[in-house]
Amino acid sequence: MESLVRHGVDTLFGYPGGVVLPLYDEMLNWPQVKHVLVRHEQCAAHMADGYARSTGKVGVCLATSGPGATNLVTGIATAMMDSIPMVALTGNVNSWAIGTDAFQETDIQGITIPITKHNYLVQNVSDLPGVLEEAFYLANSGRKGPVLVDIPKDVFIALTDAQFPETVGRRGYKPSAEINPLSFERAARLLKEAKKPIVIAGAGVIWSNTSNALRELAEKCDLPVISTLLGLGNIDRNDPRSLGMMGMHGEYTGTRAVQESDLVIGIGMRWDDRLTGKVNGFAPNAKLIHFDIDYSEFSKVVTTEVVVPGDLAVSLPEFLANAEPKTNPEWWAQIREWQKWHPIVIPQDKKFVARHVLDKLNELTDSNAYVSTDVGQHQMWTAQLYKFKQPYQWMSSGGLGTMGFGFPAAMGAAFANPGSEVWAVVGDGGFQMTLQELQTAVENQLDVKICLINNGFLGMVRQWQEMFYDNRYSHVSMGSPDYGKLAEAYGVTFFRCSSRDEVEETIRQARAAKGPVLCEFLVEMEENVFPMVAAGASNDNVINDPALSQATLTEATK
Amino acid sequence: MSTRFHTISALVHNESGTLNRLSSLFRRRMFSLASMNAGDCEQEGLSRVTMVVQGDDNDLRQCVRQLDKLLDVIEVEDLNSNQSVQRELAFIQVSANVESRRAILDIAQVMHCEVVHLEPNSITLQVTADPNRIDQVVALLEPIGITQIVRSGLVAIRVNN
Repeated sequence: MESLVRHGVDTLFGYPGGVVLPLYDEMLNWPQVKHVLVRHEQCAAHMADGYARSTGKVGVCLATSGPGATNLVTGIATAMMDSIPMVALTGNVNSWAIGTDAFQETDIQGITIPITKHNYLVQNVSDLPGVLEEAFYLANSGRKGPVLVDIPKDVFIALTDAQFPETVGRRGYKPSAEINPLSFERAARLLKEAKKPIVIAGAGVIWSNTSNALRELAEKCDLPVISTLLGLGNIDRNDPRSLGMMGMHGEYTGTRAVQESDLVIGIGMRWDDRLTGKVNGFAPNAKLIHFDIDYSEFSKVVTTEVVVPGDLAVSLPEFLANAEPKTNPEWWAQIREWQKWHPIVIPQDKKFVARHVLDKLNELTDSNAYVSTDVGQHQMWTAQLYKFKQPYQWMSSGGLGTMGFGFPAAMGAAFANPGSEVWAVVGDGGFQMTLQELQTAVENQLDVKICLINNGFLGMVRQWQEMFYDNRYSHVSMGSPDYGKLAEAYGVTFFRCSSRDEVEETIRQARAAKGPVLCEFLVEMEENVFPMVAAGASNDNVINDPALSQATLTEATK
Repeated sequence: MSTRFHTISALVHNESGTLNRLSSLFRRRMFSLASMNAGDCEQEGLSRVTMVVQGDDNDLRQCVRQLDKLLDVIEVEDLNSNQSVQRELAFIQVSANVESRRAILDIAQVMHCEVVHLEPNSITLQVTADPNRIDQVVALLEPIGITQIVRSGLVAIRVNN
């Protein structure tokens, strides 16, 4: 507990059990640390994750041995894929019983090796202060990530005089790749020569707090900026230089611009397959510059002309100073033309679709809310339509693609940011994976609002079955309980909305309500997300929204 | 790009889970691991691990970078044969009778193998050499009748800094 307080942890998310009883007993003596009792350990990890994504601080979760620990696994893997700072504490059986298949024993250290930045099994209580110190340091330094500390019951009970170390560090650990001073000049030279430069900025910009440097760079060199899915918020989406997301469901403009560009500058991102499409066909005319803190990301996916290793907090301002001011008016004229003809379509006909809800949510909250999502169609529509202004506003499982993430992550953000507006945008599939946390939200009278997009399908899977499996719908129809009754049973404020006309009023009422609110939007069942690049296809082959006019489609093939 | 064997040497923390983490990395990222050898080294609490990896230059680069990223690993390097001495130890047990014994001992002598055990029906040889020469010894003894081979995997030491 002392370690948690030392690291400024005000909230932890957990679930008690046999071997963590000593810690839970001690917790009563530390009122300054709030413990949130979840209903499933997976959600303790997701809440810690949401806490971290919405604050930039380390999220902490806690579970008992055996099933408690294994239930954390999806949450830890989610955090690992997205490089989220998290410390997961687990209890284990008494150290002398480890290896005997004791009751509720599991090898959580072994299980989590591939999904943690590092993990520990603490065998002596004298090691505990140092290990916890190191765990927080590792989780929150360099490329961030989850660190698990497994603590046997007897180690919890044992007393120690061991002090917290005065300094923390680990031999051989290099938090960030070493700066190469030459790389700035090389990169600046390429930028100077480029006629059609473009930036793709990732979550690295967020976690290194370099949004301002990114904006200044864009202004100084007149650069269009694409944000990756996890990078949304790294530049104000309303900034004229922001092009939003690209790739599989990104906007046509960004995807097309990268294909046409002669210089792509990747900043704090990792050339994910959802972004690049078929790697061989990615940005065929461009040279690539890659900024990253993690050396192993260089040349992992794409071949780069110049790599700029190091923490963006150092490298980005340095590059900004080296880069010569320039303007790219012809390039921008072309980009504006693409934008004009390929907006994200908000249908104007009678049909009631998720895009109506998300567009309105963005408008009524003035793009200021903390927003989380699950995974699927609603996630992509939110990413397209919510105009994130700042870092740490957006929480979505990008790498692992974890359904059920949205609601607990939003709860984590709500615990971390009392008084702020927090929305979880979820689908009927994902919500049913973690809705038991409604009870946790009610108990804490947590101000969290759920925007449930109910289309009666696993929408994204259905879209793929429609487009790539010849309309053969296999197990994608998703039944739901009566959410009104469910909300009543839990004691949650509930609104149901089934037409476009009611959206505004529903969201207004939800915003005015206190405590947890569930809004169910019964939308058109078979809507598809556009634009789309099919998995494995080149980014040259964007499938545009059929609703775009014929003139547009002609232009698109020009 | 062509595939070949590379020797990687790493200095690692000797803690719970270290070898597990190294081997897990190879499996998870589909790097092809031919052998892995760990032992104490000159510094207390640390071990040196020699790994033989099959792959092209790109695989190797990724492998070294991913290893370097592990918190267990203090330093890691790709050792080429010009800057290192590399050896493997093998025990080769050959079935032998009165007629074949002389032939086996002749091979052993020429190939610098040591006889570590002798029985009426078998001879056990020990050979410490680079892996190619061990392969050669095996090829020479094969027609006579090998009953068991135990190979240690490669260990390598950097020289000529």
